[in-house]
Formats: sequence, structure tokens, C-alpha cells
Amino acid sequence: MKRLLMYFLFGALNYGIISAQSADSQAPASTQKPEFVEAMTDVVADIQGAEFGEDLQPYANTLERIAAAEPKEWLPAYWGSFCYMIKSFTEPVVEKKDQYLENAEKLVATADALNPNNDEIEVLKANIASARMAVDPMNRWQKYVPISSAAIAKAKSINPLNPRIALHEAQGVFYTPEAYGGGKAKALPMIKGAIELYKAFKPTSPMMPNWGLDAAEYMLGEAQK
Amino acid sequence: MKHLLLVLPLVFILLNQSLGQTVISGKVTDRKGEPLLGASIAIKGSYDGATSDSLGHFSFRTRKKDSVTISASYLGYEPEFQILVLKGGTLELHFKLKDAFNELNAVTITAGIFEASDSKRMVMLRPLDIVTTASGNADITAVMQLLPGSNRVGEQEGLFVRGGAAYETKTVIDGMIVQNPFFSSTPDVPQRGRFTPFMFKGMAFSTGGYSAQYGQALSSVLLLDTQDKVSDQSSTNVVAHLAGVGVGYTHKGAITGQLYYSNLAPFLKLVKTNIDFVTPPQGAGGSLTLNENLSKNSVLKMYVTYSDGGNTLGLPNYDDGGKIYQFKLRNRNLFTNNTYKVFFDEGKWIWQSGFSYSNNIDDINIGTTPGDRRDERSQVRSVLKRLWGKNQENSVLAGVEYHNILNSNLFGGYKASLEENYSTAFAETEFYLLTKLALRVGLRGEYTSILDRYNASPRFSAAYKTSQYSQVSFAMGQFYQTPEKNYLYTNRSLGYELANHFILNYQWSKSDRTFRVEAFDKEYKNLVREYQTTFDPNPYRFPTGATDNSGFGNAYGFDVFFRDKKTVRLADFWVTYSYLNTRRLFQNYPVEAMPIFSTTHNFSVVYKQFIPKISSNVGITYTYTSGRPYYDAANPVFLGDRTKSFQNVSIAASHIRNIKGSWLVFFMTLDNVLGRKNEFGFRYSSDGQSRFPVIPVTYRTLFFGVSMNISRHADVPKESKLDL
Repeated sequence: MKRLLMYFLFGALNYGIISAQSADSQAPASTQKPEFVEAMTDVVADIQGAEFGEDLQPYANTLERIAAAEPKEWLPAYWGSFCYMIKSFTEPVVEKKDQYLENAEKLVATADALNPNNDEIEVLKANIASARMAVDPMNRWQKYVPISSAAIAKAKSINPLNPRIALHEAQGVFYTPEAYGGGKAKALPMIKGAIELYKAFKPTSPMMPNWGLDAAEYMLGEAQK
Repeated sequence: MKHLLLVLPLVFILLNQSLGQTVISGKVTDRKGEPLLGASIAIKGSYDGATSDSLGHFSFRTRKKDSVTISASYLGYEPEFQILVLKGGTLELHFKLKDAFNELNAVTITAGIFEASDSKRMVMLRPLDIVTTASGNADITAVMQLLPGSNRVGEQEGLFVRGGAAYETKTVIDGMIVQNPFFSSTPDVPQRGRFTPFMFKGMAFSTGGYSAQYGQALSSVLLLDTQDKVSDQSSTNVVAHLAGVGVGYTHKGAITGQLYYSNLAPFLKLVKTNIDFVTPPQGAGGSLTLNENLSKNSVLKMYVTYSDGGNTLGLPNYDDGGKIYQFKLRNRNLFTNNTYKVFFDEGKWIWQSGFSYSNNIDDINIGTTPGDRRDERSQVRSVLKRLWGKNQENSVLAGVEYHNILNSNLFGGYKASLEENYSTAFAETEFYLLTKLALRVGLRGEYTSILDRYNASPRFSAAYKTSQYSQVSFAMGQFYQTPEKNYLYTNRSLGYELANHFILNYQWSKSDRTFRVEAFDKEYKNLVREYQTTFDPNPYRFPTGATDNSGFGNAYGFDVFFRDKKTVRLADFWVTYSYLNTRRLFQNYPVEAMPIFSTTHNFSVVYKQFIPKISSNVGITYTYTSGRPYYDAANPVFLGDRTKSFQNVSIAASHIRNIKGSWLVFFMTLDNVLGRKNEFGFRYSSDGQSRFPVIPVTYRTLFFGVSMNISRHADVPKESKLDL
């Protein structure tokens, strides 16, 4: 029933019957086509609601189609890049992880070119660099840690209240053994700080990035054990 | 509600037809018809499209009309396009995607080569593996000896590859031959390599059949590629261990200066040695490295190092009932290696040129007789490479090299010297006939003034991908080498020595597991033979007899390698077995025989485990080498005796700690844990009546130290351990 209804909505959208209702989705710019907003809102909701381990490839495909049709919009490339970054963690074959991350880097570069100096894009860049390193940490930290640190520093200078910056920093400490200056205890205040920022954070539209709270809450649970 | 449900589809069907909606469905497969899951099907310029399911099926509706371009794409495959006219109704499409060219599905030539690299994904070793391998002692060559194709010769440094002697392997840094890659030889005491593994981003160890870019090595080349500039960071490194101290400073990632002082006295106090060190080995040295990206498209690398060191050994005189005499050595070594690389025309052309100079002076006193060995090599090299193809996967290159080599040897009143001018030109192309089939064809021509002869040697390799994770590879070629200088001192009419290689390789590699098996055949021709009335088994003798190029030999065998980094989390395990059958008539051998440096069976197991809880790395290595041939005058069969097998268990551990932003690494190794009394052969008095075993410097070795890294960005490596 849900699918049918969705289909109905889609079909109706194509005719522009309910185009006026898309104003509900708080489209930030009036220049955005209603079908773009609707399609993006939908796929972003699916991605943010996906269970860990769920294959994000269908969403990545949808986003790449939208990106190709809307070459001036940065969000499809941003979210496409996000999907491939997540996919690199769920992919078991080591050699394929890098292929996904190559795609993620290409797409984030596209997003960056369309919307330079954006904190969310910088945070995503930092996450991709960390994912690159996670494939082979011992051999890659020299190359990717500076890239990741630089992107986070830039994001901070644009919007220090972005909770995904605090999340990335907390993750860095959380997953570092105590002997290396990390540890759960040390990460705990950082995690709490990140969660505070998440509470205060309001995305300007449902298609804007709003991910990471679940990861922060997971770490909070682990750190309080 | 029920009625509505029944009616709604009907409404849609009617709507579809009346409004010209088209249903596009079909299948996406690879060339073989295997379904592709997750492929993207899209109509160009629209949001409409779908993702294929596990059977490769897809279906979607579109309101687009008229002529449209529909694409199917999938990571790792070439996208395919179909131009269609949409008029409503249903369309059934089948996309058969072709493999795209990428590192995952393209074949690479693996016959005769073992790579350790950071940049390539599908290599078996990383430079870091060198320092974490027990029994490797952070020495590049010692770890290479645990790989297939090379066998351990305990009393001498160097790589002995597939029945080849140590002189048949050349060490090459950034394309340039290194004249003295090891600290200077003393009798029956193996020396370390001069270069630390941290200098290099990649190492490739050839077991034969190598590229036309390299020559003057009958058996093997060890190719070392120096680090690129990776960051702008400054850092200081201090190291202290049982045998010395060192300090290094890197300024903004571009300039590195290092100084060290070594003295084995504390080590010799702690460990019982089998050799009498009259004065313990000590030395000092330093190096300066410049590594700068001059522009976006050019890289300059400069390296200069100087070292001065020596020791005095008490060695038994085999002709005087083992009475001890003193062997004193002082070595001074200057080496500089400089390369400049420039990319132009969007990276399609690469031009690399280099200059290197090496001056090595050994002052020796044997008993009361003074002597010296001097080697000086100047070389220039220039290579132009052009890439072509859709992914620039094909290449053709041509290059030239020129070397001036001065050798001399003084002993007592005798002085021998040589000057050699060696030049070479080479060309090589590597290209893909198919994504699955790669060929490499090369030709090298050489001339050396000392022999006044030319040679031309063809090289050929091919590789074919047999499945997604497996491939076969083949290599063959001719390899010339100028005879060893000790023979040229007395005879300039000798010709080149020659080896022909044939190598067949199968490799399977998937997700941190690699299995590889390689078979080889090597034919030696024109080896130098030395004629003596009686056989002198002393390997350090100066050849005085008549010599010619009538020697020959062969080596054949196979090796097996398996590595697994996956089964046990944070563990790394590898096992190697090599079988070798070789015979030669060369040097002063009176008849064909298995040479003293070769062994039939070589087996080693390496295991390493990282334990995050105590942030430590532990490793254990076991090595087995079957008995080596040795000479016994009483045996009518020449070199018919075998020593007992060599066996060694080594352990290594390192512990890493972050103290106030500085990194401390504590390391410890214990070699030959079980204290097995290994032996390498025997030395004889010249009448053959008394013999002396050749044994390791120590039966059991303990070594430890600490290294500290202070970086201005002290938080940097923290995240490096993310998810470790």
C-alpha cells in the first residue's frame, strides 16, 4: 500500500498536480524544481533511515541520475559520495573498498566545485580520507591523516557548531587505544558535546545532511559501560 | 477499500496507455551472461531509472517520449548506451557490460617479481612489513631471504637467488645501480645493508626474468624506490639501541638530516660470540636527503651519505693449527644518488634522469700485511617514457646509461687496478592486448670498454588473467654480466657471462590472501673458469690461475608462497617453500657440482600479531634450510658432503606508547631462541689435513632498543590507529 501511494505521489508530481504542496518540504531556494526537492527528500530520508549494512547502491544510483539531470545542484553529488563512503565500510573485499572511495572522492569534488567553502562538504571529505586510511591504517596514516585534519579544520572555520565535526573528532579519540592517547574515557566528554550539538542542530531542509546522531549515541552507550 | 485496491491498478494501466508511459525492463549482465547486482539504469537527463536486482533484472516506468539515451553502468565495467524511441507500452532491454580497465581486473606481470609497495594495492608486502618481521632485523635483504627464490647464506651478505651467487644480484635505487649496498665484507661475518627500509616507498625483489631497464645481474635485481614527499610536517626522531644511537630531523617534509654513531661493545658484552672481536665494530655517519616537488609536475630527489667505520677480528689461521691472526678493516663510504623527474603533456610523458657517485675505500690489515680495496663508480642515466591508451595503461620507454668504474686492490706489494667504461641503451614496451592479457617486450644493448665487447639481450614477459582473482604469468630473457673484478685484474680477454631465464607463475589473490607458485629454469653459459693444479677451497683466495669462459651451469625448481592477513584478525602469516636443483662448473671447480652457497630445500614461516590492548606487535619466524655442500678432501665426490640443516626460531616484539604527544617505540628481538648450533660449512688448511667449522657470529642473539618520534603535530598518528 505504501509503495502504491508513493507511486501515486510520484505520478501526480510528474503532472505537477501537487507541486504546490512541495512547499512543505521547506525548499531553501525557489529556483529548485519541485520534482528535484521531492526526489531528493525521498532518497535522503531513505539513506538516513537505512539500517547499517543495508546496501546503499540503489540510492547512490538514484542520486547519480539526479546529479546528471541537475548539473548545478550539489546535494545529489554530496549524498552520492556519502553512500559510497558508507559502502566502503560494509564492503568485505578490500580491493573494492578503494574503488568505492575513488567514486566518493570524485563525487565530493563535484559537490565542492558547485558549492565551495561548505562545512558539510569539508566534513564529508574528512570522513572519506579517514575511510581511505581505515583500509590500511599502518601504511596510510601518513598520507590521509593530514588530509582529514585539514578538511576538519576548514569545516570548523566555516561552522564550528556543525555536530558532524565534533562527531568525527570524538570518533578519532574513541577508536584510538588508550596507550596512543585515545580511549573511551577520554572520548566521553567529546561524545556528550557532539550530542549537545546534534540537539541544537536543525537542518535547513530535509534533504540537507543530518546524519551521525545514531553513531554518537552508540559511542555514548559504549563509553558509559 | 478492497474495491479501491482492485480499481487503482486498472486506473493506472489506463492512465499509462493514454498518457504514453513506457515500462522499461530487462537485465544487466556481464559479457558471460552473469547477472550484475546493483547496476544503475538511467535515462539521460531524467531522474527515471532503476537498480538491477540479484538476478540482474530491472524495471521502471517513464513518461519520457521520443528519442532517449538509456545507459547501464556498474562499477568496474564500461557503461553501455542504447538510443531508443519511446512510444509507450513495454520495452525489454538486455545490457551486456564489458569489464572496464582498472587495477582490480587488469592483469599484472608477476612472473619473477616480488613487490613491496605503498602505492599499489595488489602487492604482497608493505615496507613496514620489513621492520616487523622477526629474524629480519629491520634489514631489507634479511627479509627478502624469507621470500621464495632466495636462500640464506649465513656467513656472507647478499642475495643468493635461485642457485646464483651473491655477485649475480644488483641493488638499484631509483633506477641507479648501487656499487656497495652492504657494509664492507669481513671473512665469515655477514654485513647489513646500508639503507634503512624507511627510506623507501616501494621495493621489488626480482627472482629472474626482469625488465630490460636493468642489467649486469645474472640472477636478480633488488629495486628500491625512495619515498616521495608525503607531507609538510617537521619531526625529530631519536633512536638508541644496544649497538648505537642516532638522531634525525625532517624539516617540512622536504629536507632530512640524519646522524648516527654505532658501537657494538655493549652488545658484545651481553652476548656470547663465536668470533673474537679484538676491537668491536664501531662507526659514525650521516646523510642528507632533499625531496621536493619543484612544481606540480616535477620532483627532485637528492641523497648523500657518508660513513666511516671499522673493526678488528681475531681469525684462525687455517694453515697454522688455528692460531689467531688479526684482520683489521676500516671502511669509508661516500654515496650520492640524485634524480629529477618531470611529467608533461598531462602526464603522458615522463622524463627521469639521474646522477650518482659512489666512493668506497676499505683499508685492510691481514696480520701484518697492509692492503686496500677501492671502488669508485660514477653513473648517469636518462629515461623517457610515454604512456598511451584510454587509461594510459600502456607504456613505451627508452633510456641510456653510462658508468665509469674504477676498482683497485692492494695487498702487500701487489697492486691490481681496473678502469671500466660501461654504457647501455634500452627500450621496452608494456601493453595490454586485452584487459586480461598484458605483454612486455624489451631489448637491452651493452658495451663495456674492459672487455671491448657488445651484447644485446631480449626480454619478454606476458600475463593472462584466468579468473577474477587468479592469473598466469610468464617471463624469459637473456641476462649478461661482466665477470667479477678479481678475474678481470688478471685477464682482460674474458667475455660476458650469460644466463637465460624461463619463469612460469600462477597467482591467486583475494582480500588479503595470496597463493603463488612459480617454476623456473635458468641456464648459465660462459661462466668464468679458473684452472688450478689442486683445488683450493678458500673462498677468499685471490685467483691466480689461468681463466677462460668455458664454465656453465643450470638451476631449476619451483617455489610456493602463501600469505594470509585475513583469517586471524590483526595477524599476518606467510609460509614459503623453495625447491632448487642446481649444478655448475665454474670458478675453480674441477668438475660440475652443486655450488656451496646453494641449498635444495628452503622453508620459512612468518607470523605476526598486533595486540591492541597492550598496543604491541609480536612476531615469530621459523626458518629451515637443508644442508649446504661442503668440500672434504677425503671424499672422492667433489662437494659431495652436506652440512647439517640450518634451523632458526626468532621472536620479535615491539610496543608503542604515546607520552605527552611523542611517540615511543620499544623493540626487542631474540634470534635463534632455541640456541641451535647451526653451521655453514668448513674451512681447510691448504693441505686439506685440518678443518675448521664456519659458524654464526653468535648462536643466540638478543637485541633491543627504543625509538622516539617528536612531531610538531603530535596528534597526527593517533587517528592512524583508527579501527586497528
